[in-house]
Amino acid sequence: MLIKLGLSALLLSTAMYATEDMKKWLRPAEVPQPANNKLTPERIELGKLLYFDTRLSSSGKISCATCHHPKQGWTDLIPTSKAVGHEGAVGPRNSPVVLNTAYQNRQFWDGRVRTLEQQALGPIEADVEMNMPLDVLIPKLNKIKGYQKLFAKAYPESKGVITNDYLAKAIASFERTVVSTIAPFDKYAMGEKGALSKSAKKGFELFKGKAHCIDCHDGFNFSDGSFHNIGLNDGDLGGKELGRYLVKRRAAWYGVFKTPTLRDITKSAPYMHDGSVKTLTEATHVCGNGGRYEHNVKNKSTFMVDRKLTKSDISKITSFLKSLEGPDMKLKIPTKFPQ
Amino acid sequence: MKTILKTLLISLAIAASANAANHLVDQKGKTFIPHALTVAVGDTITFKNSDPFAHNAYTDDEANEFDIGMQAAGAENKVTVKAAGTFSVECAIHPNMLLEVTAK
Repeated sequence: MLIKLGLSALLLSTAMYATEDMKKWLRPAEVPQPANNKLTPERIELGKLLYFDTRLSSSGKISCATCHHPKQGWTDLIPTSKAVGHEGAVGPRNSPVVLNTAYQNRQFWDGRVRTLEQQALGPIEADVEMNMPLDVLIPKLNKIKGYQKLFAKAYPESKGVITNDYLAKAIASFERTVVSTIAPFDKYAMGEKGALSKSAKKGFELFKGKAHCIDCHDGFNFSDGSFHNIGLNDGDLGGKELGRYLVKRRAAWYGVFKTPTLRDITKSAPYMHDGSVKTLTEATHVCGNGGRYEHNVKNKSTFMVDRKLTKSDISKITSFLKSLEGPDMKLKIPTKFPQ
Repeated sequence: MKTILKTLLISLAIAASANAANHLVDQKGKTFIPHALTVAVGDTITFKNSDPFAHNAYTDDEANEFDIGMQAAGAENKVTVKAAGTFSVECAIHPNMLLEVTAK
Protein backbone atom coordinates (compact mmCIF):
# COMPACT_ATOMS: atom_id res chain seq x y z
CA MET A 1 0.00 0.00 0.00
CA LEU A 2 2.83 2.38 0.75
CA ILE A 3 4.13 1.92 -2.79
CA LYS A 4 0.63 2.46 -4.15
CA LEU A 5 0.52 5.77 -2.38
CA GLY A 6 3.66 6.86 -4.17
CA LEU A 7 5.76 6.92 -1.06
CA SER A 8 9.31 6.49 -2.13
CA ALA A 9 11.48 3.91 -0.48
CA LEU A 10 14.12 6.61 -0.47
CA LEU A 11 12.03 8.74 1.85
CA LEU A 12 11.33 5.88 4.20
CA SER A 13 14.85 4.57 4.32
CA THR A 14 16.67 7.85 4.62
CA ALA A 15 14.35 9.77 6.94
CA MET A 16 16.49 8.42 9.74
CA TYR A 17 19.44 10.36 8.38
CA ALA A 18 17.69 13.70 8.70
CA THR A 19 18.86 15.71 11.66
CA GLU A 20 16.30 16.33 14.38
CA ASP A 21 15.61 19.91 13.32
CA MET A 22 15.06 18.84 9.70
CA LYS A 23 12.70 15.93 10.36
CA LYS A 24 9.67 18.17 10.60
CA TRP A 25 10.08 19.05 6.92
CA LEU A 26 9.75 15.44 5.75
CA ARG A 27 6.39 14.01 4.75
CA PRO A 28 5.02 11.50 7.27
CA ALA A 29 5.35 7.93 6.01
CA GLU A 30 1.61 7.33 6.20
CA VAL A 31 -1.34 9.30 4.95
CA PRO A 32 -4.05 9.96 7.56
CA GLN A 33 -7.11 7.82 6.88
CA PRO A 34 -10.50 7.88 8.63
CA ALA A 35 -11.45 4.65 10.40
CA ASN A 36 -14.59 4.29 8.28
CA ASN A 37 -12.81 4.73 4.95
CA LYS A 38 -9.44 3.03 5.06
CA LEU A 39 -7.54 3.03 1.80
CA THR A 40 -7.72 -0.08 -0.37
CA PRO A 41 -6.61 -0.52 -3.99
CA GLU A 42 -10.27 -1.02 -5.02
CA ARG A 43 -11.39 2.23 -3.39
CA ILE A 44 -8.49 4.20 -4.86
CA GLU A 45 -9.07 2.87 -8.37
CA LEU A 46 -12.82 3.50 -8.18
CA GLY A 47 -12.23 7.01 -6.87
CA LYS A 48 -9.83 7.70 -9.72
CA LEU A 49 -12.40 6.69 -12.33
CA LEU A 50 -15.01 8.94 -10.73
CA TYR A 51 -12.53 11.82 -10.44
CA PHE A 52 -11.91 11.80 -14.20
CA ASP A 53 -15.45 10.89 -15.34
CA THR A 54 -17.23 13.82 -17.02
CA ARG A 55 -20.59 12.09 -16.62
CA LEU A 56 -20.58 13.43 -13.07
CA SER A 57 -21.42 16.90 -14.44
CA SER A 58 -24.73 18.08 -15.87
CA SER A 59 -23.08 19.14 -19.16
CA GLY A 60 -21.23 15.82 -19.47
CA LYS A 61 -18.07 17.82 -20.19
CA ILE A 62 -16.61 18.53 -16.74
CA SER A 63 -14.95 16.26 -14.23
CA CYS A 64 -13.13 16.97 -10.96
CA ALA A 65 -9.95 16.91 -13.04
CA THR A 66 -11.12 19.79 -15.24
CA CYS A 67 -10.28 22.26 -12.48
CA HIS A 68 -7.85 20.06 -10.54
CA HIS A 69 -5.76 18.35 -13.20
CA PRO A 70 -2.61 16.38 -12.41
CA LYS A 71 -0.87 17.81 -15.47
CA GLN A 72 -1.68 21.34 -14.28
CA GLY A 73 -0.38 21.13 -10.74
CA TRP A 74 -3.73 19.70 -9.56
CA THR A 75 -5.39 23.02 -10.39
CA ASP A 76 -6.39 24.70 -13.67
CA LEU A 77 -3.69 27.37 -14.07
CA ILE A 78 -6.11 30.28 -14.43
CA PRO A 79 -7.06 32.95 -11.86
CA THR A 80 -10.60 31.70 -11.30
CA SER A 81 -12.53 29.03 -13.11
CA LYS A 82 -13.70 31.30 -15.96
CA ALA A 83 -14.90 29.31 -18.97
CA VAL A 84 -14.07 26.09 -17.16
CA GLY A 85 -17.04 25.81 -14.84
CA HIS A 86 -20.48 24.77 -16.02
CA GLU A 87 -21.31 26.49 -19.34
CA GLY A 88 -18.44 28.89 -18.84
CA ALA A 89 -19.60 29.95 -15.39
CA VAL A 90 -17.03 31.94 -13.44
CA GLY A 91 -15.94 30.55 -10.12
CA PRO A 92 -15.23 33.16 -7.46
CA ARG A 93 -11.94 31.68 -6.29
CA ASN A 94 -8.72 30.23 -7.59
CA SER A 95 -9.03 26.48 -7.92
CA PRO A 96 -7.23 25.03 -4.88
CA VAL A 97 -4.66 22.29 -5.46
CA VAL A 98 -5.61 18.76 -4.45
CA LEU A 99 -2.01 17.90 -3.56
CA ASN A 100 -1.55 16.86 0.09
CA THR A 101 -5.13 17.72 1.04
CA ALA A 102 -5.12 14.42 2.93
CA TYR A 103 -3.01 16.14 5.56
CA GLN A 104 -5.32 19.16 6.00
CA ASN A 105 -7.96 19.27 8.68
CA ARG A 106 -9.95 21.95 6.85
CA GLN A 107 -10.90 21.79 3.16
CA PHE A 108 -11.65 24.57 0.63
CA TRP A 109 -10.11 28.06 0.78
CA ASP A 110 -12.54 28.98 3.57
CA GLY A 111 -12.20 25.72 5.46
CA ARG A 112 -15.94 25.15 5.56
CA VAL A 113 -15.60 21.38 5.89
CA ARG A 114 -13.09 19.18 7.63
CA THR A 115 -12.70 15.99 5.64
CA LEU A 116 -12.17 15.00 2.03
CA GLU A 117 -15.38 12.98 2.26
CA GLN A 118 -17.27 16.15 3.19
CA GLN A 119 -15.49 18.10 0.44
CA ALA A 120 -15.88 15.64 -2.42
CA LEU A 121 -19.53 16.28 -3.29
CA GLY A 122 -19.50 20.08 -3.02
CA PRO A 123 -18.02 20.89 -6.45
CA ILE A 124 -20.27 18.29 -8.11
CA GLU A 125 -23.38 20.16 -6.97
CA ALA A 126 -22.03 23.75 -7.23
CA ASP A 127 -23.74 25.61 -10.06
CA VAL A 128 -20.49 27.31 -11.13
CA GLU A 129 -18.70 23.98 -11.23
CA MET A 130 -20.22 20.65 -12.23
CA ASN A 131 -23.80 21.75 -11.58
CA MET A 132 -25.05 18.21 -11.02
CA PRO A 133 -27.74 17.71 -8.32
CA LEU A 134 -27.00 14.56 -6.37
CA ASP A 135 -30.60 13.42 -6.64
CA VAL A 136 -29.99 13.27 -10.40
CA LEU A 137 -26.46 11.89 -10.28
CA ILE A 138 -27.00 9.00 -7.89
CA PRO A 139 -29.81 7.35 -9.92
CA LYS A 140 -27.70 7.92 -13.05
CA LEU A 141 -24.69 6.16 -11.52
CA ASN A 142 -26.87 3.33 -10.24
CA LYS A 143 -27.84 2.58 -13.83
CA ILE A 144 -24.20 2.02 -14.81
CA LYS A 145 -23.55 -1.68 -14.18
CA GLY A 146 -19.79 -1.25 -14.32
CA TYR A 147 -19.91 1.21 -11.43
CA GLN A 148 -22.30 -1.00 -9.44
CA LYS A 149 -19.74 -3.82 -9.62
CA LEU A 150 -16.84 -1.57 -8.65
CA PHE A 151 -18.73 -0.11 -5.67
CA ALA A 152 -19.63 -3.62 -4.55
CA LYS A 153 -15.94 -4.58 -4.61
CA ALA A 154 -14.71 -1.39 -2.96
CA TYR A 155 -17.47 -1.23 -0.35
CA PRO A 156 -18.96 -4.75 -0.03
CA GLU A 157 -21.52 -3.54 2.50
CA SER A 158 -22.99 -1.29 -0.23
CA LYS A 159 -23.98 -4.41 -2.21
CA GLY A 160 -23.39 -2.27 -5.27
CA VAL A 161 -26.04 0.29 -4.37
CA ILE A 162 -24.41 3.68 -4.85
CA THR A 163 -25.27 6.43 -2.36
CA ASN A 164 -23.97 9.95 -1.67
CA ASP A 165 -21.89 8.52 1.15
CA TYR A 166 -20.15 5.84 -0.92
CA LEU A 167 -19.58 8.27 -3.80
CA ALA A 168 -17.91 10.74 -1.44
CA LYS A 169 -15.82 8.02 0.17
CA ALA A 170 -14.55 6.71 -3.16
CA ILE A 171 -13.53 10.12 -4.50
CA ALA A 172 -11.91 11.00 -1.17
CA SER A 173 -9.91 7.75 -1.29
CA PHE A 174 -8.34 8.73 -4.59
CA GLU A 175 -7.69 12.31 -3.46
CA ARG A 176 -5.96 10.95 -0.37
CA THR A 177 -3.33 9.36 -2.61
CA VAL A 178 -2.43 12.66 -4.27
CA VAL A 179 0.69 13.40 -2.28
CA SER A 180 3.91 15.24 -2.98
CA THR A 181 6.95 13.36 -4.23
CA ILE A 182 10.55 13.82 -3.23
CA ALA A 183 11.79 17.28 -4.16
CA PRO A 184 15.39 18.55 -4.07
CA PHE A 185 14.57 20.15 -0.72
CA ASP A 186 13.63 16.75 0.73
CA LYS A 187 16.98 15.35 -0.34
CA TYR A 188 18.64 18.31 1.33
CA ALA A 189 16.57 17.73 4.48
CA MET A 190 17.71 14.09 4.44
CA GLY A 191 21.33 15.13 4.45
CA GLU A 192 22.26 15.54 0.78
CA LYS A 193 23.86 18.95 1.12
CA GLY A 194 24.45 19.36 -2.61
CA ALA A 195 20.76 18.99 -3.41
CA LEU A 196 20.17 22.72 -3.00
CA SER A 197 21.93 25.59 -4.73
CA LYS A 198 23.73 28.19 -2.64
CA SER A 199 20.94 30.65 -3.43
CA ALA A 200 18.21 28.20 -2.37
CA LYS A 201 20.01 27.47 0.91
CA LYS A 202 20.15 31.18 1.68
CA GLY A 203 16.51 31.40 0.64
CA PHE A 204 15.63 28.70 3.18
CA GLU A 205 17.35 30.68 5.93
CA LEU A 206 15.44 33.83 4.89
CA PHE A 207 12.22 31.77 4.76
CA LYS A 208 12.73 30.75 8.39
CA GLY A 209 14.20 34.07 9.53
CA LYS A 210 13.92 37.60 8.16
CA ALA A 211 10.95 36.90 5.88
CA HIS A 212 8.94 35.03 8.55
CA CYS A 213 7.33 32.78 5.89
CA ILE A 214 7.55 29.97 8.42
CA ASP A 215 5.05 31.74 10.67
CA CYS A 216 2.31 30.28 8.43
CA HIS A 217 4.07 28.00 5.92
CA ASP A 218 5.37 25.57 8.51
CA GLY A 219 5.88 21.80 8.55
CA PHE A 220 6.40 19.28 5.76
CA ASN A 221 3.41 20.61 3.79
CA PHE A 222 4.62 24.19 4.19
CA SER A 223 1.27 25.17 5.70
CA ASP A 224 0.20 25.11 9.32
CA GLY A 225 -3.44 25.11 8.22
CA SER A 226 -3.98 28.60 9.59
CA PHE A 227 -6.35 31.28 8.26
CA HIS A 228 -5.29 34.85 7.52
CA ASN A 229 -6.40 38.02 5.82
CA ILE A 230 -3.33 38.86 3.77
CA GLY A 231 -4.64 42.19 2.49
CA LEU A 232 -5.41 41.61 -1.16
CA ASN A 233 -8.62 43.16 -2.42
CA ASP A 234 -11.11 41.97 0.15
CA GLY A 235 -13.32 43.56 2.72
CA ASP A 236 -12.77 47.26 3.15
CA LEU A 237 -11.17 47.65 -0.25
CA GLY A 238 -14.47 46.92 -1.95
CA GLY A 239 -14.01 43.26 -2.72
CA LYS A 240 -16.87 40.89 -2.10
CA GLU A 241 -14.74 38.03 -0.89
CA LEU A 242 -15.06 37.79 2.86
CA GLY A 243 -13.57 34.30 3.04
CA ARG A 244 -14.20 32.28 6.18
CA TYR A 245 -16.43 35.10 7.49
CA LEU A 246 -19.09 33.79 5.12
CA VAL A 247 -18.99 30.42 6.89
CA LYS A 248 -19.74 32.10 10.20
CA ARG A 249 -19.62 35.79 11.04
CA ARG A 250 -16.84 35.46 13.56
CA ALA A 251 -14.75 38.65 13.84
CA ALA A 252 -11.45 36.78 13.53
CA TRP A 253 -12.61 35.32 10.20
CA TYR A 254 -13.19 38.59 8.34
CA GLY A 255 -11.54 38.21 4.93
CA VAL A 256 -9.40 35.23 5.98
CA PHE A 257 -8.41 32.30 3.78
CA LYS A 258 -6.47 29.11 4.41
CA THR A 259 -2.69 29.09 4.14
CA PRO A 260 -1.97 27.00 1.03
CA THR A 261 0.74 24.38 0.71
CA LEU A 262 3.96 25.44 -1.01
CA ARG A 263 4.75 21.92 -2.23
CA ASP A 264 5.02 21.92 -6.05
CA ILE A 265 4.14 25.60 -5.93
CA THR A 266 5.96 26.13 -9.24
CA LYS A 267 3.28 24.05 -10.97
CA SER A 268 0.18 25.92 -9.85
CA ALA A 269 0.37 29.62 -10.81
CA PRO A 270 -1.43 31.97 -10.57
CA TYR A 271 -1.54 32.26 -6.80
CA MET A 272 -3.67 33.36 -3.85
CA HIS A 273 -7.38 32.72 -3.30
CA ASP A 274 -8.30 35.19 -6.05
CA GLY A 275 -5.60 34.09 -8.48
CA SER A 276 -4.40 37.67 -8.72
CA VAL A 277 -0.70 36.99 -8.26
CA LYS A 278 1.06 35.70 -11.36
CA THR A 279 4.55 34.78 -10.19
CA LEU A 280 6.41 33.46 -7.16
CA THR A 281 8.44 36.66 -7.10
CA GLU A 282 5.28 38.73 -6.78
CA ALA A 283 3.83 36.30 -4.21
CA THR A 284 6.95 36.55 -2.07
CA HIS A 285 6.85 40.34 -2.30
CA VAL A 286 3.14 40.49 -1.41
CA CYS A 287 3.48 38.18 1.58
CA GLY A 288 6.89 39.32 2.74
CA ASN A 289 6.47 43.05 2.40
CA GLY A 290 3.11 43.60 4.03
CA GLY A 291 0.46 42.82 1.46
CA ARG A 292 -0.39 44.46 -1.81
CA TYR A 293 -1.82 47.61 -0.27
CA GLU A 294 -0.69 50.00 2.39
CA HIS A 295 -4.35 50.70 3.19
CA ASN A 296 -5.83 49.89 6.55
CA VAL A 297 -7.45 46.58 5.62
CA LYS A 298 -9.89 45.43 8.27
CA ASN A 299 -8.63 42.36 10.14
CA LYS A 300 -5.41 42.23 8.15
CA SER A 301 -3.13 39.62 9.70
CA THR A 302 -0.52 40.91 12.10
CA PHE A 303 1.94 38.75 10.17
CA MET A 304 1.50 40.99 7.15
CA VAL A 305 4.14 43.58 7.93
CA ASP A 306 6.86 45.00 5.76
CA ARG A 307 9.87 42.73 6.28
CA LYS A 308 11.98 44.99 4.04
CA LEU A 309 12.83 42.14 1.72
CA THR A 310 15.24 43.24 -0.99
CA LYS A 311 15.15 42.04 -4.58
CA SER A 312 18.08 39.80 -3.73
CA ASP A 313 16.21 38.34 -0.72
CA ILE A 314 13.15 37.64 -2.84
CA SER A 315 15.26 36.03 -5.54
CA LYS A 316 16.82 33.67 -2.98
CA ILE A 317 13.48 32.78 -1.42
CA THR A 318 12.12 32.08 -4.89
CA SER A 319 15.08 29.77 -5.54
CA PHE A 320 14.22 27.93 -2.37
CA LEU A 321 10.53 27.67 -3.31
CA LYS A 322 11.56 26.13 -6.64
CA SER A 323 13.38 23.42 -4.70
CA LEU A 324 10.00 22.24 -3.36
CA GLU A 325 9.06 20.94 -6.79
CA GLY A 326 9.19 17.15 -7.06
CA PRO A 327 8.55 14.95 -10.07
CA ASP A 328 4.92 14.32 -10.96
CA MET A 329 3.45 11.34 -9.10
CA LYS A 330 3.03 8.22 -11.18
CA LEU A 331 -0.54 8.15 -12.36
CA LYS A 332 -2.29 6.50 -15.27
CA ILE A 333 -5.10 8.81 -16.27
CA PRO A 334 -8.14 6.71 -17.23
CA THR A 335 -9.47 7.01 -20.76
CA LYS A 336 -12.12 4.28 -20.52
CA PHE A 337 -14.90 4.41 -17.97
CA PRO A 338 -17.36 1.85 -16.58
CA GLN A 339 -20.44 1.22 -18.72
CA MET B 1 -37.72 38.42 55.39
CA LYS B 2 -36.84 39.85 52.01
CA THR B 3 -33.59 41.25 53.34
CA ILE B 4 -32.65 37.94 54.99
CA LEU B 5 -33.26 36.07 51.71
CA LYS B 6 -31.24 38.61 49.74
CA THR B 7 -28.35 38.36 52.20
CA LEU B 8 -28.50 34.56 52.03
CA LEU B 9 -28.39 34.57 48.25
CA ILE B 10 -25.47 36.98 48.16
CA SER B 11 -23.63 34.84 50.72
CA LEU B 12 -24.24 31.74 48.64
CA ALA B 13 -22.99 33.49 45.51
CA ILE B 14 -19.85 34.65 47.30
CA ALA B 15 -19.27 31.14 48.65
CA ALA B 16 -19.73 29.59 45.20
CA SER B 17 -17.43 32.15 43.68
CA ALA B 18 -14.84 31.49 46.36
CA ASN B 19 -14.97 27.75 45.57
CA ALA B 20 -14.70 28.25 41.82
CA ALA B 21 -11.28 27.42 40.46
CA ASN B 22 -9.38 29.11 37.69
CA HIS B 23 -7.63 26.98 35.09
CA LEU B 24 -4.78 28.37 33.05
CA VAL B 25 -4.50 27.36 29.41
CA ASP B 26 -1.39 28.56 27.66
CA GLN B 27 -1.25 29.12 23.91
CA LYS B 28 2.31 28.35 23.03
CA GLY B 29 3.92 26.96 19.88
CA LYS B 30 0.48 26.98 18.21
CA THR B 31 -0.73 24.49 20.83
CA PHE B 32 -3.12 24.67 23.75
CA ILE B 33 -1.29 23.59 26.89
CA PRO B 34 -2.83 21.47 28.30
CA HIS B 35 -4.77 19.80 25.47
CA ALA B 36 -7.51 18.58 27.80
CA LEU B 37 -9.10 20.02 30.90
CA THR B 38 -11.63 18.81 33.47
CA VAL B 39 -13.45 21.63 35.24
CA ALA B 40 -16.50 22.27 37.38
CA VAL B 41 -19.43 24.41 36.28
CA GLY B 42 -18.71 27.93 37.51
CA ASP B 43 -14.95 27.57 37.15
CA THR B 44 -13.06 29.99 34.98
CA ILE B 45 -10.51 29.33 32.26
CA THR B 46 -7.81 31.88 31.59
CA PHE B 47 -6.39 31.78 28.08
CA LYS B 48 -2.89 33.17 27.97
CA ASN B 49 -1.08 33.88 24.71
CA SER B 50 2.61 33.11 25.09
CA ASP B 51 3.29 33.12 21.34
CA PRO B 52 4.70 36.22 19.68
CA PHE B 53 1.64 36.51 17.44
CA ALA B 54 -2.14 36.69 17.71
CA HIS B 55 -4.34 33.79 18.78
CA ASN B 56 -7.99 33.21 19.56
CA ALA B 57 -10.10 30.74 21.52
CA TYR B 58 -13.73 29.93 20.84
CA THR B 59 -16.31 27.23 21.20
CA ASP B 60 -19.55 26.78 19.34
CA ASP B 61 -20.92 24.57 22.11
CA GLU B 62 -24.43 25.94 22.63
CA ALA B 63 -24.39 25.87 26.42
CA ASN B 64 -20.90 27.29 26.82
CA GLU B 65 -20.47 29.43 23.72
CA PHE B 66 -17.68 32.02 23.88
CA ASP B 67 -15.22 33.76 21.58
CA ILE B 68 -12.39 35.79 23.08
CA GLY B 69 -11.74 37.57 19.76
CA MET B 70 -8.28 38.40 18.46
CA GLN B 71 -5.90 37.92 21.34
CA ALA B 72 -2.64 39.82 21.05
CA ALA B 73 0.71 38.35 22.06
CA GLY B 74 1.07 38.35 25.83
CA ALA B 75 -2.62 38.98 26.51
CA GLU B 76 -4.89 37.00 28.87
CA ASN B 77 -8.66 36.47 28.64
CA LYS B 78 -10.91 34.75 31.15
CA VAL B 79 -14.13 32.87 30.43
CA THR B 80 -16.59 31.17 32.81
CA VAL B 81 -17.82 27.62 32.28
CA LYS B 82 -21.60 27.82 32.35
CA ALA B 83 -22.87 24.28 31.86
CA ALA B 84 -21.90 20.64 32.28
CA GLY B 85 -20.80 18.64 29.25
CA THR B 86 -17.86 18.05 26.96
CA PHE B 87 -16.91 20.61 24.38
CA SER B 88 -14.04 21.55 22.07
CA VAL B 89 -12.22 24.85 22.01
CA GLU B 90 -10.32 25.91 18.91
CA CYS B 91 -8.20 28.83 17.81
CA ALA B 92 -10.03 30.56 14.94
CA ILE B 93 -6.70 31.40 13.31
CA HIS B 94 -4.95 28.07 13.86
CA PRO B 95 -7.60 25.33 13.71
CA ASN B 96 -5.01 22.65 14.32
CA MET B 97 -5.06 23.88 17.93
CA LEU B 98 -7.60 21.92 19.91
CA LEU B 99 -8.59 21.87 23.59
CA GLU B 100 -11.11 19.36 24.94
CA VAL B 101 -12.98 20.57 28.03
CA THR B 102 -15.03 18.31 30.28
CA ALA B 103 -17.27 20.28 32.62
CA LYS B 104 -18.89 18.43 35.55
